[in-house]
Amino acid sequence: MINLVWLIPLFPLIGFLINGLGRSFLPKGAVGFIGSLTVFLSFAVSLGIFFELNGSVTKSFTIQLFDWIQVGNLSIPFSFQVDPLSSLMLLIVTGIGFLIHVYSIGYMHHDTGFAKFFSYLNLFVFFMLLLVLGSNYVVMFIGWEGVGLCSYLLIGFWFSNPAYASAAKKAFVMNRIGDLGFLIAIFLIFNTFNSVEFAKVFPQAASLTAGSDVITLITILLFVGATGKSAQIPLFTWLPDAMAGPTPVSALIHAATMVTAGIYMIARSNILFTLAPFTLDIIAVVGLATAILAALIAITQTDIKKVLAYSTVSQLGYMFLGLGVGAYTGAFFHVITHAFFKALLFLGAGSVIHAVSNEQDMRSMGGLKSKLPVTFYTMLMGTIAISGLPPFSGFFSKDEILAHAYEHSKLLWLIGVIGAMFTAFYMFRMLFLTFFGKFRGTTEQQAHLHESPASMTFPLIVLAVLSIIGGFIGVPEALHGNHWLAGFLEPVFSASEQRTGASHLDHSTEYILMTVSVIAAVVASFIAYLRYARNNHVPVPDTAERTAFANVSYNKFYIDEIYDALITKPLNILSGFFYRIVDKTFIDGFVNGLGRATAEAGKGLRLLQTGNIGFYIFIMIAGIVALLVYGFYNI
Amino acid sequence: MSVLITISLLAILVLYLGLFKAKKALLPVSILGLLGALSLSFYEWGSYAQPIYNGMMLFDNFAAAFSGITILSTLLIFLLSKDYFERISSNIAEYYTVILFSLAGIIVMVSYHNLTMLFIGIEIMSVSLYILAGIKKRDFASNEAALKYFLMGAFSTGFLLFGIALLYGASGSFDLLEIRNYILSAPQEVSPLFYGGILLLIVGLCFKVGAAPFHFWAPDVYEGSPSLITAYMSTVVKTAGFAAFLRLFLFCFSPLSEFWSPVLVTLAALSLLIGNITAVYQQHFKRMLAYSSISHVGYMLFAVISLNGSSDTSIFVYAAAYSIASIMAFAALILLQRQVGTDSFDSFNGLARKNPFLALTLTVAMLSLAGIPLTAGFIGKFMMFTSALSTYHTYLVLFAVLNAAIGIFYYFRVIVAMYFKEADRHELIVSPYYRLVLGLSAAATILLGVYPELISRLI
Repeated sequence: MINLVWLIPLFPLIGFLINGLGRSFLPKGAVGFIGSLTVFLSFAVSLGIFFELNGSVTKSFTIQLFDWIQVGNLSIPFSFQVDPLSSLMLLIVTGIGFLIHVYSIGYMHHDTGFAKFFSYLNLFVFFMLLLVLGSNYVVMFIGWEGVGLCSYLLIGFWFSNPAYASAAKKAFVMNRIGDLGFLIAIFLIFNTFNSVEFAKVFPQAASLTAGSDVITLITILLFVGATGKSAQIPLFTWLPDAMAGPTPVSALIHAATMVTAGIYMIARSNILFTLAPFTLDIIAVVGLATAILAALIAITQTDIKKVLAYSTVSQLGYMFLGLGVGAYTGAFFHVITHAFFKALLFLGAGSVIHAVSNEQDMRSMGGLKSKLPVTFYTMLMGTIAISGLPPFSGFFSKDEILAHAYEHSKLLWLIGVIGAMFTAFYMFRMLFLTFFGKFRGTTEQQAHLHESPASMTFPLIVLAVLSIIGGFIGVPEALHGNHWLAGFLEPVFSASEQRTGASHLDHSTEYILMTVSVIAAVVASFIAYLRYARNNHVPVPDTAERTAFANVSYNKFYIDEIYDALITKPLNILSGFFYRIVDKTFIDGFVNGLGRATAEAGKGLRLLQTGNIGFYIFIMIAGIVALLVYGFYNI
Repeated sequence: MSVLITISLLAILVLYLGLFKAKKALLPVSILGLLGALSLSFYEWGSYAQPIYNGMMLFDNFAAAFSGITILSTLLIFLLSKDYFERISSNIAEYYTVILFSLAGIIVMVSYHNLTMLFIGIEIMSVSLYILAGIKKRDFASNEAALKYFLMGAFSTGFLLFGIALLYGASGSFDLLEIRNYILSAPQEVSPLFYGGILLLIVGLCFKVGAAPFHFWAPDVYEGSPSLITAYMSTVVKTAGFAAFLRLFLFCFSPLSEFWSPVLVTLAALSLLIGNITAVYQQHFKRMLAYSSISHVGYMLFAVISLNGSSDTSIFVYAAAYSIASIMAFAALILLQRQVGTDSFDSFNGLARKNPFLALTLTVAMLSLAGIPLTAGFIGKFMMFTSALSTYHTYLVLFAVLNAAIGIFYYFRVIVAMYFKEADRHELIVSPYYRLVLGLSAAATILLGVYPELISRLI
């Protein structure tokens, strides 16, 4: 089965080709069926591979497809790596991918670009699978760039709206900044280890001493790449804007899969990062800062998708915090559970938006509980899971990260718990604003309210179940579990763990930490309940006065404006200067001057052609004399 | 060898046909004869590796390949000559005959193995050309061209002959092999006479191919001669001149390249500069082609400068690409001159709208001459630059690349005029012969540009 791994990316590629080429004549039913089926087939193969790997003694397989680049001592095979990390990621990408494809059949039904949408979605899955499966940094980079491209295409799917098109552009440009870091890191890796193959780089790295300059530089550059793709400070502002894309895209690309690529890449290269403690500290601080900042922004947002977007940024921040404190398993655990509940929440939000005629502002929602019961209960599960209430999945993964953070530094833990409080607050705020109280939209919208079709509710239910039980793959020993996930991923992270030493908190400390975070989450959700469910508080309209803090938070800490003033404007001024002065005056002047000089020279030289044969012969003689003089001195 | 005999007999046959007033048969017979000669040059491929006729001639693959391309170019030019000579004179048979005689001289030039044969070949060719330049008896410009060409040609022939005499004086032989052995036997003790001989031969040959500063005849003669003869002179004659040039320097003088290669580098650079810069300022298509042909001489000299195993191939490819493209350009020129009456760049305005086929093929020709990829001209330039780089003439190549950029300016002027400038004009009538030549040449140009292996492994 493992030898058939090449089938996994092949199916979505075929789907992309069929849907892409047949987009103008294939019926919608066929398009949706092909799009979903290809991803389902990949999921089936992934499942097979997963079970085979789980039962096998060897935990890492490299399947070489063909020699791709062979130049001098640079050898880059096109090959795939199957190991616990990639096989789990495969399941997430294809499994959740399949559910979201099914969901899209209902969600995108009225859209004229139906087939285009499915072909892009299939292409995205293909590239994401390349990213996951690549056995070297270059193949991973192809996938990395490919998902960036698909993200761009899908954010700008409704490109006739200029705001959406510029959101797509913003995402692309910010990702490029990160990609540059990744690319330079790959060059440095090749320069240092003479290979880009994981199987060759990591064993070599494991024998190096910790904290060497080159490793630190490589890891910082890799992390720069990760901040772009996974929306961390300073490159996170594209992700909220990316909500311009259709909601299934937000669920698949901007919540469950692509944005976790940065975490996947760092987890994949964990040994390099373990050797660079300085980088790890940076990652922890940046991750936590992102988590808090995004949470602070999320608590005042009124657009349902924006809340979820900032929540995603915030949760990604927690994952980076986990990586930074060395909790690779915990971070990846959170990737898995987050994929479940955040995909669920986005799809639920999509279902809501679908029901209220494309309204996204929560101030115009309310009271949808009775009209959309499936959506409400599934989103409730998702909200509980993300808030970290036991025994839902988010509790286990977030707790593992926070426990490691506590071990690392009590301050990190404290801030993390405060962030978790905010999370519970804004998530329940969103839930209450949407589903409780009275409907605040127009009467037309009210007349049109309906539960979504089965193709949309089915994925919601599956994901809700996963959000509830997903955490049981990683129950810690303190709760009498055996943490299956840690055992399964052990071969991937063993080299790092040997260096750091797997230290354990004693169980009583763990109990205290868990209790504190659970109480914090409960308190936060209760406050949200009091404010938004019982008192029916509704956020004020845009025109109203806000308190200073609410104003700053509502305006996203003015980060876009700050970037605009600090980077975009000076860059525009600079490029204006280069255009008008350097290009127009100097370069064009030089080039045109050369042309004019040539023409003038031609005018002059032309006069040599007098038509007078005596003159011609005179010049010939002069030439011959010069030749003979040359000959005389050079014999 | 039978190629030379065929062409000579064909010339005499055509002359007799004229005598018996069989005017309609002239062109078909000439074409058939040339096709026969062409197939003979293929047939004799690889049959002679040794000199024949007491070491006078050597019809090796080099000679066969260059005979082939010169005969082919002549064929294309003959196809364009339908109704051409009739308009300018009544003695048509003589023109075909004289062209064929000059072609016979060219066959000698590409297959000589003895300096006397080189001289005889050049003279057979040149004397025919003097006549051809003045073929419009009552046209003042044509007469002037013929006289100028003759005067300066005679002058340069003197140097050629004097050079040969000096070589003979030093080495005691006209035979290429003997001369080569003379150099190889004692490279340090080569007589000063011999060096003088080389320099004078360079003068003579550079005059024939039209390299600066011995190019002054070219613009005036090209301009004054009938356009079809100009086409012949700037393609077939130039190719032959380079074949002769290369044969002598590759076979005999290569051990002394340190002495003569700086001279040729200078002449090549000078030709590039003068050819290109003067072409920029021209307002007439024909004069532009004349000057640009000087610049092409500069590129072709690269192969002589950097003598190596692939010099012959690169000159062959370059000459083939250049000849084919030039013939297309001259075909368009003849059509314009005949039907519009002028060949200024303005007369091309709006041509693409009325004559899309002509405009397209002319565009291919211009792109090839400018050396744009996917045309044969690019492959030719590429091979020239590679061979020059392989002998570390980096600055020369840099200079040549700059000049190629200048070349793009004046070649693209034609394309811009045809496609982007509007003008009221009538459709030009393009006869089937012209369509055939234009279509075949354009196809060949693209084919060689995409798949150069077709001819680049030939020699």
